[in-house]
Amino acid sequence: MRVEGRLPRWLAYCLACLFLWGVWGVLAKVASGRMSPKDEQILFTAGSLPVAAAALWRLKGALETHRIGALCGVLNGVFAGLGLIAYYVAMERGPASVVAPVTALFPLLTVLLAATFLRERVNRFQAAGIAAALVSIFLLAS
Amino acid sequence: MAEWLPYSLIAVALWGAVGLLQKLGASRVSAHSLFVWLTIGFALQVPFLAPGSRLASMAASEVGFGLLVGLTNALGSWFLFAALERGAQASIAIPLTALYPLVTALLAVLLLGERLSGRQWVGLVLAVIAGLLLSYEAPQQPDRSAAGSASETAG
Repeated sequence: MRVEGRLPRWLAYCLACLFLWGVWGVLAKVASGRMSPKDEQILFTAGSLPVAAAALWRLKGALETHRIGALCGVLNGVFAGLGLIAYYVAMERGPASVVAPVTALFPLLTVLLAATFLRERVNRFQAAGIAAALVSIFLLAS
Repeated sequence: MAEWLPYSLIAVALWGAVGLLQKLGASRVSAHSLFVWLTIGFALQVPFLAPGSRLASMAASEVGFGLLVGLTNALGSWFLFAALERGAQASIAIPLTALYPLVTALLAVLLLGERLSGRQWVGLVLAVIAGLLLSYEAPQQPDRSAAGSASETAG
């Protein structure tokens, strides 16, 4: 991707991310109708490997091995992977235009968990977000 | 209840926990290291997913689709890390990328011919606003913590 001119580089990268994640949802919808969720997750893992290799290259091979940091990362993979399997089933059974927005509301739970376990304050934007998220799920599921 | 809803909520619950772990991990290792460990976490599950796999008999095009699902997601995370490295403020970058379900929905309507009811369109807009609000954290120290909370959506 090549963006020149007035668009700042960081913004171009954000838009690239936005586009790729948007496309990801459609691809997941199509793939979920054609293979089992387990097979899809195996392929998802394989498809992630080049990027993990690039990340390792960026680290010059020096993967940080802080015990808690690494454990959080691995557990992230386990939880994210299980979540992805549920996501594929949802995609198989419902329209992508509804499943994508509902599943993207996961920060709702992160905010609540962070408030509970990390004692982070829920700011008023996030409080409004929680309310909006609940109403949106109700509307999307109707 | 819609058939897709319980599975979506399971994903929300699991990915919500990922977001919490991300916060914990990101203060200790860089976004790139966290991504490598995350991928190792994915790989550890493969032996449990493999029994009964029909990968061997799948058409190459289907395998390609599956690989692209992983690649687009991971590349998206990569670009978000890159944006934060290039000085993007997390308080702008994260909410901006939280707009992705809108892109998915529009592509699904345009390319897959999906139809939404009026109520669902309102729900979609509201969900995207909710995503913006939920991912808003007051600007704070940049760098690691920023790049960390960024990779939340890597799942």
